[in-house]
Amino acid sequence: MAEKIKTATESESHQHEEHHVVPLSYYFMVFGVLVVGTILTYFVATIDLDTIFPGANTLVALLIAFFKMGCVVLIFMHVRWSSKLIWLTAIAGFFWLAIMFAFTMQDYLTRGAGVFTR
Amino acid sequence: MQNIEAINIKNIKEEPKVSYLTNGFTLKSWLLTKDHKRIAILYLITVSAFFALGGIYASLIRLELLTPASDLLQSATYNRVFTQHGIIMVFFFLIPSIPAILGNFLIPIMIGAKDLAFPRINLLSWYFYMAGGGLTLYALLQGGVDTGWTFYTPYSTTFSNGYVMAVGLGIFINGFSSILTGLNFIVTVHTMRAPGMTWFRLPLFVWAHYATSLVMILGTPVIAITILLMALERLAKIGIFDPAIGGDPILFQHLFWFYSHPAVYIMILPGMGVISELISNFSRKKIFGYEFIAFSSIAIAVFGFLVWGHHMFVSGQSVYAGLVFSFLTMVVAIPSAIKVFNWAATLYKGQISYDTPMLYALFFIGLFLIGGLTGLFLGSMGLTVHLTDTYFIVAHFHYVMVGGQVLAYLGGLHYWWSKITGKMYSEFWSKIAAIIVFVGFNLTFFPQFILGYLGMPRRYASYPEELQVLNIFSTAGASILAIGLIIPLIYFTYSIFFGAKAPSNPWMLPGLEWRTASPPPTENFEETPIVTWEAYEFGEESGLDLEDARNRDRVTV
Amino acid sequence: MATHADALHDDHYHAPGLQHQFEDMGQQQESASIGMWMFLVQEIMFFGGLFTVYLVFRSKYPMAFAAGSNHLDAFWGGLNTLVLIVSSLTMALAVRSAQLGRRNAQVIFIVVTMIFGTVFLAVKAIEYTAKYKEGIVPVAGLNMKTAKTPGTYPNARELSTRTGDTQDPKESLNTGVSEANTHETGEHSYYNPGGTFVWTDVSLAVQAQQGNYLTESEKIGYFSNGELNANKFRDKVRIFFWIYFVMTGLHALHMIIGLGLMAWLAWKAWMGTYTADYYSPVEMSGLYWHFVDIVWIFLFPLLYLLGRHFLHGGGH
Repeated sequence: MAEKIKTATESESHQHEEHHVVPLSYYFMVFGVLVVGTILTYFVATIDLDTIFPGANTLVALLIAFFKMGCVVLIFMHVRWSSKLIWLTAIAGFFWLAIMFAFTMQDYLTRGAGVFTR
Repeated sequence: MQNIEAINIKNIKEEPKVSYLTNGFTLKSWLLTKDHKRIAILYLITVSAFFALGGIYASLIRLELLTPASDLLQSATYNRVFTQHGIIMVFFFLIPSIPAILGNFLIPIMIGAKDLAFPRINLLSWYFYMAGGGLTLYALLQGGVDTGWTFYTPYSTTFSNGYVMAVGLGIFINGFSSILTGLNFIVTVHTMRAPGMTWFRLPLFVWAHYATSLVMILGTPVIAITILLMALERLAKIGIFDPAIGGDPILFQHLFWFYSHPAVYIMILPGMGVISELISNFSRKKIFGYEFIAFSSIAIAVFGFLVWGHHMFVSGQSVYAGLVFSFLTMVVAIPSAIKVFNWAATLYKGQISYDTPMLYALFFIGLFLIGGLTGLFLGSMGLTVHLTDTYFIVAHFHYVMVGGQVLAYLGGLHYWWSKITGKMYSEFWSKIAAIIVFVGFNLTFFPQFILGYLGMPRRYASYPEELQVLNIFSTAGASILAIGLIIPLIYFTYSIFFGAKAPSNPWMLPGLEWRTASPPPTENFEETPIVTWEAYEFGEESGLDLEDARNRDRVTV
Repeated sequence: MATHADALHDDHYHAPGLQHQFEDMGQQQESASIGMWMFLVQEIMFFGGLFTVYLVFRSKYPMAFAAGSNHLDAFWGGLNTLVLIVSSLTMALAVRSAQLGRRNAQVIFIVVTMIFGTVFLAVKAIEYTAKYKEGIVPVAGLNMKTAKTPGTYPNARELSTRTGDTQDPKESLNTGVSEANTHETGEHSYYNPGGTFVWTDVSLAVQAQQGNYLTESEKIGYFSNGELNANKFRDKVRIFFWIYFVMTGLHALHMIIGLGLMAWLAWKAWMGTYTADYYSPVEMSGLYWHFVDIVWIFLFPLLYLLGRHFLHGGGH
């Protein structure tokens, strides 16, 4: 064979993640963020934000939780330095979760007299 | 560019000394094997046994329905019989059959690998299947369940006094088998492809299994949690599915069908993968629209998750949700239709040879078409109100499941039998059996469309007298179908012991699996293949001659 | 059992830990990585089913959920969150140590991770025991059984109109009956001979009714004949606690499995199995551990904190 044919593993966008050592500072920064986020979640939950709009408390809590999750996934789980396939896998998992929530709730939210009957 | 000096694609003259079948004769070498081919054989034996058991339950159903009255079986027993039939067929036959048998055997060979990515996990998945199957079997023999395979609440959680927990646990355990198989396939296709085997040179069989594996991984855990919740509810009676306490039985249905609808795509996608192989190879023509078929498999896998509410139109689900699900049900039919069009275009001006696998493939196209179109009838909300819970539904899903998946499974089994066992079956008897299956199947299930339209409800042991004639046709068809399914058991078994030795490439085809011995050695290839050809290359470059193929030996006894 | 085509491998250097089906460590490592992520996706969907159930019932009965949630001890829950975060850090450091080939550091970090994991489970045990004692385990018979002189227990009608003290949620469990008549093993003065689920605080439902922000399901679900029915409310609160126990229980089960995994990993690390060339099992175990942490990151606010803002008269 004249030309060298790439092996399957090489022809994938195979980032050599195993050679990348994450600096310690990243880990400690994320740790700090997670601890602060936890404390923040705890105290914001005691403040009534529902005067802004109903469900505001839940939204803030979820936003903080998503942010914390993002830090863990990207830094602790090394997704930031992983191949696109791993990114896609992580995102797909949550996308499917969103499908399950959205399509189930679309039933419950539309059962009353009108849409989103409270 | 061709590569025939590296791999001989005409029949390999020199037989390797040891094949995967002869590489160890002890029970331990089979039960603790890491070889994907041996695991496929383990599955073949056990899946066939469950199929036979499910068939026995089906015979009981059809015998009972010969007469309008509930005379052979009491209603309570009949409830258990159709439940058993459903559970065994869905969870222990339809879902594992093609992926665990043909997929396990062929995927590494088709991509040029030595084995799957995780051989021990592959073996573990068989043990999960056996554990789940064993437990379910035990429960069924103790008296079983009468809830229907769908386990709807609150009956299953509150009122049923069958073995709901045991059967549920059996299905739960079996789910792990599915998940591990899917996980293995996905990783294998990503990392184990031979040099030169790019994604778009993969056989469509592999694409189909990749899409199936996505569904297995994303869907199966949800049925697992649903069964867990049902079991916990049965134990603790909290009321999450009990309207009297504030729960919602429809929630169970949402969770159940979130998996069970994609599950039917787990069943049919591998079948479609087999059909793509059969149509292309037996027309000796490159498949039409390769990329379209490949992407349509992925599309079916993705869209299949968005339509589960079409099983719940009349359950109490909101009409708006029903509207969304109905629309998406129409959309999900499109990728399937794309496949059918591409298959038809492949046949056009092909050099068709009517060997048994091709017969099954052609039958599949017709029967799947009918099944799929009737699915559209059921997806439209106005019509479904009349047809829900009637025999129309039963006919619809049997057309896609039996007329579709089972025929694809049989076609694949016949096609690759020589590769798997190294023996040739009788072409004469196999053709007879295929025709008997086709006739028997249609006679069984077509009258059921009419019965459903006339209003005969499903899951009832008795029915109005005027519907008896059609039921008799159906039962008669079922006996013919049973004969058609038993005949292969006979000639396949005969072929194992007395069949002619199969050459490496009996059909004279260019696929990578035909470039190794029948049966293959344990590591699949003597040397790692280097792929320089496209999929389904039938031209002169592939080194195969059409005249040779036409004049090949056909075994008829 | 499978014989290799030995000719293939004679001139290959076999990296330690290379399995027979792989050509090289890169392929094995990539396979392990994709495989573990597929498993995690599957776990996401598994827990996802429970989150769906939570979502459905919380949107139907938010007040019952808030009431139940306020009786969970957010201190322990918050502490557990911090414990898991620390364990995630030590796990990440364990992976890093393995990557750098430091055997002792690996083992220490894995063991420390296990210690924190055990602390998590110990706190959960404390919490569950507290629920047992307070009579809010949702399964009848699984609560602490207390005996009392019959007749001193207020009836449901009295309870249904009580607004209760919302300053300290736990106080509302006290029905105001004499402390002297407690069962010798019980510390509460309520009567629960059958160990059933006991709930009497309907204050949040009353508050919501007055503020007119009950959902449609709540208007049906808490009332009978136009009046607030404490038993019906109790049933909805019981659904909350059921979801709490199933979700945290399943999570705890995953923690236990994780601890088992860590034990095996620590032992192998101690034996020097993992080096800079081969540390994939450590990394994959780390992924699992982080996943379990992420589930808790969501469970904490959704279960423990959802009703806090209703206290002190808050809410919309």
